[in-house]
Amino acid sequence: MAAIAHPSDRAAVRVPTRRKVGWQRHRRWVLPVAGLFVALAFLWPYLVMLLNSLRPSSDVVQTPATILPRTWQLSTYAQVLGDERFLAWLRTSVLVAVTSTLIVILVSIPAAYFTARFRFPGRIAFLFLVLVTQMFSPTSLVVGLYREFFNLNLVNTYLALILTNAAFNLAFAVWILHGFFSAIPREVEEAAHLDGCGRLRTLLRIMLPLTLPGVVTAIVFTFIAAWNEYVVALTLMLDEGKKPLTVGITSYVTGYEQHWDQLFAASIFAIIPVVILFAFIEKHLVGGLTAGSIK
Amino acid sequence: MTRRMTVLVAGAAVAALGLTACSGGSGSGTAAGGASSGDSAKKVTSIKLVAAEYSKDHTAAFWKQFADKYKAKTGTTLDVQIVSWDAIDQQSSTMIQNNNAPDILNLNAYASYAKDQLLYSADDVLSPAVKSDLLDAFVKSGTYQGKMYGMPDLSSARALFYNKAMFAKAGIAAPPKTWDEFEADAKKLEGLGGGSIGYAMPLGPEEAQGEFSIWLFNNGGDWKSDGKWTINSPKNVETLAFMKKLAVQDKVTQNNPGRTNRADAFNLFKSGNVGMVVGFSPLAADLDKDKKVSYGVAPMPVQGGGEPQTFGVTDYLMAFKKPGNQAAVKAFYDLYYQKDQVNAFIKAEGFLPVTKSGLAAFASAPQLKVYLETLPNVHLTPTDDPTWDMVKLAVQQNLGAGITGDPKATLDALQKTAENGG
Amino acid sequence: MADDLRGAGAATGSTVTAPAPAAPAPAAGPGRRARRRRRRGHSSLGAALLWLGPALLLIGGVVIFPAVELVKASFSRYSITGLRLGDAGTANFRHVLDHPDLGAVLANTLVWVVVVVALTVLVSLAVAQFLAKDFFGRKVVRYAIIVPWAASLVITAKTFSMIYNYYYGTLNLVLTKLHVISTPIDFLGNDSWTMPSMILVGVFVSIPFTAYVFVAGLNAIPRDVYEAARIDGATPRQTYWRVTLPLLRPALLVASVLNIIYVFNSFPIIWTLNDRNPGFAHDTTITFMYKLAFKSAEKDVGMSAAAGIFNVILILVVVVIYLRTVKWQEEES
Repeated sequence: MAAIAHPSDRAAVRVPTRRKVGWQRHRRWVLPVAGLFVALAFLWPYLVMLLNSLRPSSDVVQTPATILPRTWQLSTYAQVLGDERFLAWLRTSVLVAVTSTLIVILVSIPAAYFTARFRFPGRIAFLFLVLVTQMFSPTSLVVGLYREFFNLNLVNTYLALILTNAAFNLAFAVWILHGFFSAIPREVEEAAHLDGCGRLRTLLRIMLPLTLPGVVTAIVFTFIAAWNEYVVALTLMLDEGKKPLTVGITSYVTGYEQHWDQLFAASIFAIIPVVILFAFIEKHLVGGLTAGSIK
Repeated sequence: MTRRMTVLVAGAAVAALGLTACSGGSGSGTAAGGASSGDSAKKVTSIKLVAAEYSKDHTAAFWKQFADKYKAKTGTTLDVQIVSWDAIDQQSSTMIQNNNAPDILNLNAYASYAKDQLLYSADDVLSPAVKSDLLDAFVKSGTYQGKMYGMPDLSSARALFYNKAMFAKAGIAAPPKTWDEFEADAKKLEGLGGGSIGYAMPLGPEEAQGEFSIWLFNNGGDWKSDGKWTINSPKNVETLAFMKKLAVQDKVTQNNPGRTNRADAFNLFKSGNVGMVVGFSPLAADLDKDKKVSYGVAPMPVQGGGEPQTFGVTDYLMAFKKPGNQAAVKAFYDLYYQKDQVNAFIKAEGFLPVTKSGLAAFASAPQLKVYLETLPNVHLTPTDDPTWDMVKLAVQQNLGAGITGDPKATLDALQKTAENGG
Repeated sequence: MADDLRGAGAATGSTVTAPAPAAPAPAAGPGRRARRRRRRGHSSLGAALLWLGPALLLIGGVVIFPAVELVKASFSRYSITGLRLGDAGTANFRHVLDHPDLGAVLANTLVWVVVVVALTVLVSLAVAQFLAKDFFGRKVVRYAIIVPWAASLVITAKTFSMIYNYYYGTLNLVLTKLHVISTPIDFLGNDSWTMPSMILVGVFVSIPFTAYVFVAGLNAIPRDVYEAARIDGATPRQTYWRVTLPLLRPALLVASVLNIIYVFNSFPIIWTLNDRNPGFAHDTTITFMYKLAFKSAEKDVGMSAAAGIFNVILILVVVVIYLRTVKWQEEES
């Protein structure tokens, strides 16, 4: 019932509150205003970036600085979009990120489910291994990765980059899904077994919907990690057209020629697909478990 | 739990060793970088070039048309990988660690690779006509132990850029010719107030060695003399002390010179706030494009008499010895040093020629006159010494400290590093 | 550690029963199924390999192999060009330990990891709590929070590098205009300001994903738990401390351990913000390792690999210690 305030509402730290019920009357506008401040707190550097993309490169690094551009330059976005190389970088990023995410989801769900639910020899070893692999930074592994892919003749292929991104993000997905699977009560599974479901069907039909927030988190996390990966892509991808955005946009600012406006415009473009992905699936983060569905 | 962990870790280690056994041996050789000269080996069908990215608009475009021409001419494919300057050290190191060096590498050093016997010398891959066309200063700087390994791709030279408007305002008639004049001028410029900076001094880790080189050459000093390192010679200590004086005592430089990189110094000059800076042709190109600052270019001021010295830099295109690629590599250089190729590249990127014929070709550009006159006698850092590759890095990381600390101690430490590093 | 997760799972709600290791097969059900489930919850290695196989393959291929290469490299001697010259025994490890700047680097790393992770977790808890509420414009706020995470670290670091700039930086501009300061602050070049400046960026980029892990965790808490607390007469603060936080334990665990690892290994922020600073004064172990390989006078790939090994061991130790501490606290309560 709406009249009963959710206890978690009162525990919010950011909202200016008085413990009395009184402030609830102003809740209508207090929270949105607080929300505005919170949003700005996270957006302000990117607003700076946006403003920098709307002024000529020389204005960006001009002393003294101004917040608003001295000269507005709106053509940069069209210029970047018209750049063949930029579009190729964008295509590569999309391909790599989407495929890596798919692989991670397909591989981590069974692994996490199985590890959460069943005892088998090597179970703890597996979880430990998964955690330890996260501790190796790609920066230190990149030379070994290059060697491996070189031996497999996979240097400069999308496959190499996709596999790398998938492998590096597996740990997080397994971890978070493991937590979610563990949290589902046994009764749910037992009910499924009683109804005649095998392991696979139990997983797909019953367990998965209940862990949807975890799956969504894993998807977002993996996509973003793959989208923003830099070191391995730099080393493995040789052709201009096969470089992802993170590597490609470093071309805009070299030691001899600086196009800050294009760099920032391209960066804004790079952020958009992630936000779009997020827009599509964030409502599933909201869904989650509701009491009673278990029973 | 603890014992279990131990067992698991041990198990993992055993598994890892097992993997080692499987993977070892494929290409993990030792110092076997050199291969046979290649004449008798099968000819390759493609060669790889790793090129540094000077600019977004020009570098990739140039090498693409070059690769097309190369293929048409020789039938061999040229795979081009463009890497930004920040990442090229890492990239080339990764490749060499895996015994997969490219056939041609574009880098700002070569001597260490020559020392490791990885490279072809000019005798192997440069036709005599091409070699004789190269400017002597660059042939010399590309020669290690009597043989030339580092072929220059382009060059740049530094000069003193000054802000004419600020000079007029400060009542300075002409750019300074001596260090005393320089110091006085810088003080006047700083005195203009309103955020004016007398001299922008970039001693950050990007090119501390460049900035210091310019000054020490003009005090009659050098990094090496007669084959010995002279980093902490009295003249060099005097130079660094003078630079410290400018920064700390006279306070005529920008904030924190030891932590300023070249681009920042240039940005300040382009904003019109700086009286003097040591610049080169890409800066001039930017200034001409922006049309904001009226600037002049002059030779560096000198201490203790003598002619002004120009500091020059050249990057290298070096060729790695791999079976069967010698002919292809030779064809590469033949094509690159053709007048229409090398000079087109240099012109597009805004740098200076490396060949005698190039000098003639560029003579018609008036804004380059001041550099071209001094280019044949340009003074370079000792890139022909493999130890320099290490010393340069040490200088980049430590020189800035000499501005806030003790110049003599800083240079003594660098001298020691150089003497130990051989 | 796996036991922690299981234990955490058990604490999720009063309706959950702890999974019993060797529960007997359900009484009802056809005999065939009873046979397949003779040791319910247990499984053979073969079945395990089927379900875990792809994961093992990926991890083995992409992480284990290069890790082994890293170990091999740390025992090798390299030329400045990257050419392998031979074996080095333990020389690389000794050189790293003898490095004069190692102490500063370790101190920096400690401060960096502890402060960033602590601040991130605290602020993210608050942000997640805030996002759990329903209000007009919440969607916009959610999208806004995702942006620092969506942007690549390199770009964010470059933007902050400009914002922090002494001469043309936005931060100095705003602070001067608001008369908070009279002369600009050298955020990145002044030794006292460098670490706080880096920490701000580190926290800034870590909050979004941490907050979302917590949001997922909060959403997993069944509503009737709060009902029960309310009925028992708990105040909001008590509810938060006694009910919400404990139920967030799995999320807290995941978030803090992963944050420790990521912040430890975080390269672009420290690298970009320090790119005008010579030496190793503000480096953490990860940029130290990189500089050893490519930018320092040592330019020694073998030494860098040794530093990389030390780095992994260090993270491992830190994480194990952290997990032990957390588990200990759990047993206490």
